[in-house]
Amino acid sequence: MTRMYKDVGQGTGNEKGMTYQKMEKGRNGAKRSAADPLGPNSEIGRKLRQYYDELIADDIPDRFSQLLNQLQQKEQPGSAAKED
Amino acid sequence: MSASPSFRDGLLAAVPTLRAFAVSLAKNSDRADDLVQETLVKAWDKQDSFQPGTNLKAWLFTILRNEFYSQMRKRRREVEDSDGAITARLSIHPSQDGTSDLTDFRRALQLLPEDQREAIILIGASGFSYEEAAEICGCAVGTIKSRVSRARSRLQEILSISGEGDFGPDPIAAQVTNSAALA
Repeated sequence: MTRMYKDVGQGTGNEKGMTYQKMEKGRNGAKRSAADPLGPNSEIGRKLRQYYDELIADDIPDRFSQLLNQLQQKEQPGSAAKED
Repeated sequence: MSASPSFRDGLLAAVPTLRAFAVSLAKNSDRADDLVQETLVKAWDKQDSFQPGTNLKAWLFTILRNEFYSQMRKRRREVEDSDGAITARLSIHPSQDGTSDLTDFRRALQLLPEDQREAIILIGASGFSYEEAAEICGCAVGTIKSRVSRARSRLQEILSISGEGDFGPDPIAAQVTNSAALA
């Protein structure tokens, strides 16, 4: 009896699919389910994320942080003046 | 009113995903970097119009997208003027060729019309909801849904992936298969 219960519990509550859905949701911050046309069961969906993740992993040129520093210094000339 | 350090940090943190979106739109990394740069400058100038606590990423994507389309309109006029001289320079990002098995996928993506490409990227890769994507693109949620659906069908067609949604395990089938595996 107890054993059967245990089996049923494993069968319905602990699917790999559910864990994956959770991960997807966390990562994208949007609802993703197995039935989603671009979700984990979709080859197009997987390739899209792979494609995008590769772009995100690209080295980011320094020019962007330099630009933001410049913008910030322009805004606060008093506090950011470092010229000797 | 001077910028808080967190606004600057927020912009900096968004650069990788902004760049990924820009490359997807512009198909060219030099142009993409210019787009990101322009976006950061515009965002900085307009920071007072950003409401703290709302979605900074969506706000930045909206600016970048507007910038892309306004540059494209300008460019189209230039192309008409100079008869192909500029078209020749609109090349594909070279480092994106043959680096992985995604080459076919990238090519397929580039064959999509712009509106479909941006919709499927926003929903399928950038992690926006349909509502957020509709706001970014300034159109109805239903329009985004149909663009994503057309983009997906078209990609399947180009890549010869036949109706994966019909054969892949739906949540219920997945439960059955998993239970069978455990038994």
